[in-house]
Amino acid sequence: MSTTKTVNCDVLVIGGGVAGCFAAVRARERGLNVVLVDKSYVGYSYATRFATLNFLVFNPNEDEGALNTCLKAVALRGEYINDPEWTEIVLRESWDRYQELASWGADFCRSENGSMFARDVPPFTTVRLGLKGVGPACRERAETIGVKILDRIMITDLLKSGGEVIGAIGFSLDTGDCYVFRAKATVLATGLCSFYMRNTGNGDALAYKAGATITSREFIFVWPWHDPNLDMSLAAARCVYMKFIDAEGLPVKHDPRSEIIDLSLEFLVHEGRAPIYWDLDSATPEDVERMKKRMLSHDGYMGFDPNRGGKIRMFGGAWMLLNSMGGAWLINKKCATEIPGLYAAGDCAGTRTVGAFHIVSGFGLASAAVTGARAGIGAAEYAAKADKPDIDEEELINLKEGIYAPLKRGKGFEPRWVLEIINSIMTPYYIYAVKHGDRLKAALTFIEFIKDHIVPRMYAKDLHELLLVHEIKNIVLNVEIFLRCSLFRTESRGTHYREDYPRRSDPEWLAWTKLRDDGGRMKLWREPIPKKWWPDLSTAYEERYPRRFPGE
Amino acid sequence: MIGLCSNWINHNLCTGCGTCVKICPADVIRIDENTKRAIIKYSEDCFGCQLCKVHCPQGAIQMTPKRHMMYPPPLGWR
Repeated sequence: MSTTKTVNCDVLVIGGGVAGCFAAVRARERGLNVVLVDKSYVGYSYATRFATLNFLVFNPNEDEGALNTCLKAVALRGEYINDPEWTEIVLRESWDRYQELASWGADFCRSENGSMFARDVPPFTTVRLGLKGVGPACRERAETIGVKILDRIMITDLLKSGGEVIGAIGFSLDTGDCYVFRAKATVLATGLCSFYMRNTGNGDALAYKAGATITSREFIFVWPWHDPNLDMSLAAARCVYMKFIDAEGLPVKHDPRSEIIDLSLEFLVHEGRAPIYWDLDSATPEDVERMKKRMLSHDGYMGFDPNRGGKIRMFGGAWMLLNSMGGAWLINKKCATEIPGLYAAGDCAGTRTVGAFHIVSGFGLASAAVTGARAGIGAAEYAAKADKPDIDEEELINLKEGIYAPLKRGKGFEPRWVLEIINSIMTPYYIYAVKHGDRLKAALTFIEFIKDHIVPRMYAKDLHELLLVHEIKNIVLNVEIFLRCSLFRTESRGTHYREDYPRRSDPEWLAWTKLRDDGGRMKLWREPIPKKWWPDLSTAYEERYPRRFPGE
Repeated sequence: MIGLCSNWINHNLCTGCGTCVKICPADVIRIDENTKRAIIKYSEDCFGCQLCKVHCPQGAIQMTPKRHMMYPPPLGWR
């Protein structure tokens, strides 16, 4: 058995991206003993790596009218299931967080017209990020003010005592040592779930296993691929030039205001109009210039030339759970979850800031900074009043056995194969995007079997594979949450499309889905949205919802 | 984990400083015990974020869009 190291602290922050660093910095500024732990390297983790496009800002010099215009735009695009209080908080505090990041040395750069600010998606203002993004500056700031950083430790479980979260347990990817964190308050800031790569929904899984309520995980974010190779420079170019054609050369209609693709490609594919192409032949010299400028911040990538012309084939590619929407349910604006001692920030916090659709790129990062700072303050205040936590040694032994069991097993299923089969079930467009009750139930049948029969039999040959095993466990839990939320919401809204319920159902589904562990089963229920936030139900449906779903 | 890209390390330039091992978000790089140089140990788990290339102090890491993977990735459609 590996050695066990115990780390005592006031505030433990799990996840070293923007949200986690802000939380750690805020708690440390209050004089507390703060530990920041990450399965990768704080400031360089997966989601932070790809958060290199935009940071949303709302300039406080603008009047209240401008703020209201932004809030209305989010409500309309988010189809009225955003939480306007959180949306307003993120907008109002985005400027201060941006200034703070800039003062820490974050890599912000000038946009096409030489200004720091861009207005690609009116009425929103964004700041472009440079190649290094915000992560390294966040790490440096945290180190400077005395946050204790522990890299390359995978947290597998939260520790509880008397209904309260009192820390976490995990293992080191380098030494294999077991780490027990004893903390007065714990902040989850682990990012979202994309079902592969490193975004494995660890925060949702940890929160769920600790008994927290999860909300709104039926909504998705899609990122179609040009070819199965991921090239960020090309993705950046596509953000400013979104012309697609179907197999017959007919242009694809989509919302021109959005930098982010809606489900329009999936709907066309479902009609039998694949393959879909990104139409570079129709790009004007101005379009090419815009793409080139947009790609500047991604110098160092694989060298896509927007001048090349041609038609680039689009494949169904990455999809993930919608960020700045679902996650652990928060009971206050200091990011406390329902479990005392547990806080959540960033993409694993269920703020419902954006609603059913992500309106503009940059909202996620701003939301991570804002919620991170708030969670840090909330956790610090809680920790200042909390007693020194008492850990149940017997529980620790059980958890430790669970952590290392795949290493000792020596037989069973390889983690990469398990991930392949999960992706084969979930990635076809007719499961994640064009949903139907029958197909969701079919997928759930397989996922339940995998959870019960395959997951407990995964084995790991080394510590790297042990990490994969624990990540895949979390992915399976996230997949089940996604499928159950998707089945539960018997309507279509935003990025949740049910072929068998193709219309929005007002006011029945002016509500958030909520889900919690109930004796080993997932229990779901509805949280009605306060009437003051409803759209005007006397207006025509088409006016309330300008976007049409197929078959409605 | 789907390997999206393959990267390789020029062992004439690599000094074995370990920067890439430390920062790789996919945990795919290790220092070879014999040569004391970085190697891509789990290339099938690389997702092509290029962080190693961006931060390598020697410019020793190259990437190609050609994928290295055991199985083709499941796609939404094709």
